[in-house]
Amino acid sequence: HFVSLIKKKLTFPWFGMDIGGTLVKLVYFEPKDITAEEEQEEVDNLKSIRRYLTSNIAYGKTGHRDVHLELQDLTLCGRTGNLHFIRFPTQDLPAFLQMARNKHFSSLHTTLCATGGGAYKFESDFRTMADLQLHKLDELDCLIRGVLYIDSVMSRGLSECYYFENPTDPDHCIQKPYTLENPYPLLLVNIGSGVSILAVYSENNYKRVTGTSLGGGTFLGLCCLLTGCSTFEEALKMASDGESTRVDKLVRDIYGGDYERFGLPGWAVASSFGNMMSKEKRESVSKEDLARATLVTITNNIGSITRMCALNENIERVVFVGNFLRVNTLSMKLLAYAMDYWSKGQLKALFLQHEGYFGAVGALLELLHPS
Amino acid sequence: MCLSKTVGHSMDKSITLPPDEIFRNLENAKRFAIDIGGSLTKLAYYSTVQHKVAKVRSFDTTAKEAPNDKLYEISVQEEVTARLHFIKFENAYIETCLDFIKDHLVNTETKVIKATGGGAHKFKELIEKKLGLNVDKEDEMTCLIKGCNFVLKNIPHEAFVYARHADSEFRFQTANPDIFPYLLVNIGSGVSIVKVESEDQFERIGGSSIGGGTFWGLGALLTKTKRFDELLQLASKGQHTNVDMLVKDIYGGSYGCLGLTGDLIASSFGKSATADKEFSKEDMAKSLLHMISNDIGQLACLYAKLHNLSRVYFGGFFIRGHPVTMHTITYSINFFTKGEVQALFLRHEGYLGAIGAFLKGAEEDNPNQYSWGENYAGSSGLMSVSPDMNPMQRARSGTFDMLEMDRLERQLVNLPLLQDPSSYIPDTVDLTEDALARDYWLYCFEDALDGVVKRAVASQPDIPEAVVRAEKFRQKYRHKLLTLRHQPL
Repeated sequence: HFVSLIKKKLTFPWFGMDIGGTLVKLVYFEPKDITAEEEQEEVDNLKSIRRYLTSNIAYGKTGHRDVHLELQDLTLCGRTGNLHFIRFPTQDLPAFLQMARNKHFSSLHTTLCATGGGAYKFESDFRTMADLQLHKLDELDCLIRGVLYIDSVMSRGLSECYYFENPTDPDHCIQKPYTLENPYPLLLVNIGSGVSILAVYSENNYKRVTGTSLGGGTFLGLCCLLTGCSTFEEALKMASDGESTRVDKLVRDIYGGDYERFGLPGWAVASSFGNMMSKEKRESVSKEDLARATLVTITNNIGSITRMCALNENIERVVFVGNFLRVNTLSMKLLAYAMDYWSKGQLKALFLQHEGYFGAVGALLELLHPS
Repeated sequence: MCLSKTVGHSMDKSITLPPDEIFRNLENAKRFAIDIGGSLTKLAYYSTVQHKVAKVRSFDTTAKEAPNDKLYEISVQEEVTARLHFIKFENAYIETCLDFIKDHLVNTETKVIKATGGGAHKFKELIEKKLGLNVDKEDEMTCLIKGCNFVLKNIPHEAFVYARHADSEFRFQTANPDIFPYLLVNIGSGVSIVKVESEDQFERIGGSSIGGGTFWGLGALLTKTKRFDELLQLASKGQHTNVDMLVKDIYGGSYGCLGLTGDLIASSFGKSATADKEFSKEDMAKSLLHMISNDIGQLACLYAKLHNLSRVYFGGFFIRGHPVTMHTITYSINFFTKGEVQALFLRHEGYLGAIGAFLKGAEEDNPNQYSWGENYAGSSGLMSVSPDMNPMQRARSGTFDMLEMDRLERQLVNLPLLQDPSSYIPDTVDLTEDALARDYWLYCFEDALDGVVKRAVASQPDIPEAVVRAEKFRQKYRHKLLTLRHQPL
């Protein structure tokens, strides 16, 4: 009875989708235990979809599969296979829908579980352009569900969760694993286009504490305006080559040293972009410096707000997720350091390998194990 | 163009107002204080002003007098009022201003100038050299708090709540004897958040590096404007929705279950992450203003919540009474605390440090024993430029700002007969709030002007210049009324 229920509801392909403000995150389960019989019955377009997704790592001009994040030999709902993590810009969703139409995705009659704002915004587009019905899910529910699931399956080998030891010492800074058992209460900071901060007390008990509009989208947007770059990777590259202290006004620039009375070290930033009030200085800084300053400003601000939330909610563990941190070791280390320094060691900054994919994973889980 | 700091000529070119209208009453100045911030300097000094006061003595009309005797006699007396002067100008002008002051300091025995602000350190030598005074540095935060306590206690209607769409935009708070504890958020180049528990007990509990300097610096980079006020002007005309990614841009509507309405900003500058579009200066400036104001508001709320404070005062040059900034901050505080915390602004934000430094130096004179009233004639108004101000005044308000306070003869105290001073609501007409009343009274004054002038001239028939003086008065008065009509504050 149970098996037949599954067979009825859970036809392949199994997808989880998270349509955010800037990126679409797609999680795809590739079954590796297909029997000969199944293979015979498998319809052509399903086969073609599977082949297309698993034999490419780039899709079109902007789609990308993060192979290093692939989870192999995963058991989900009685099936064994690999979990793939794919992303593409939200602005290219029309191309995705066109492809889904071309491959007759709708004829497969699967439910497409989707979360994120785009699940609501583009619901009608899915219907009209690809004849697909979306099962819409709340993004924060999916996020939490995804985080808890991935951490549980990863604990047998590599750690999903990690932190930085000695974050400001480049010679001694190392990534170290962290076990998230007994994780509650937890502050979950999701840094996407914007930021959401959640206090998680148990698997089913969480609340959105607050958010901020100064997020990944701000970093990318400001960088593009200030430096003329056009992609996240470009912006990060520039930032890694720049010197933000030429752009920011530090405490020592105003006080000539530390502001001892209030424990403000001379190297702390007193005013972000403060040196840019002077025309001479504006003309003397490079694009790389500006990119770096933008990164530092946004990152430190998120750190600040997070720290205050942790204090108000009485939580000591903070997990940072979201695609702003993708390939962004600079920000991760900054966050790690800032949390540690300004809280005098009370707060710990934690990070997860699968960064921005948790919403999509949660959506997939909803498909397989409806709550 | 770069502002030259060395040559006196640069000052002459950019200020059309003769400096002695800005630095008034310097001859008898004593007790100097200076607050040098990241970009603005505020100078304070105490001086005495001699002015003629006309004292009127009326005669007993029932006594048998000759018909051509006057009804009243005017005697003119010299009176000396103690007055505080505060002047604000950009750091670039500091040298030329100091030179000017030095030239006019005649009767002073002052040896010391109290200095505060981060820049006090940088400019110490310059000040000592130019003014020949010893620089006595005072801690910035202490001065700020002293200044804040002073204005909150002594100046009626110092603090106000800003409500953009209400009948009266500005709701002034009556001076409350019970001001502690409160949170002061000082927004200069950076932001300092201070919890004040009593006259002497305060603590900087936090801050942010995203402040006025960020707005100016990023703004200058993005829009190529050089001046802070220009940037604010641009912002007031912009549409931030072209640049920011709103909740509805992500959700197609509101994020219902979390109560996030569609118009909320989800990601500041979220729409500008594309290489192929140009964005207008006004839109970017507006976006920047929102971004920074919202961020500061949010942080202030988090601190207020942690320390259980319900009154948050905002000070610092970033605000400058600019409606859009005040609105965004107020909105932000309301949003993040669901109305539990009140955002209050100070009319004399920006001067707090200078006032505090001055008070530290004037402690011997016991300034807190006196009451101080504003000299409205000598002070710049709350808002900046009025549309038909003459060029002199416009230059003055853009580059220099002034505040003058007169020491009153007797201390103002709450009426002893009042049962409970803190909940007393005086029966006064507030012309800033009541537009109808304001219109009415201004009209009355205008209408009566001619009659008053005629009477004045008639009362001094034997003084030839009376007509000229009266005419001058009429012009000035009419102009003041006009200004009040346009800029009630």
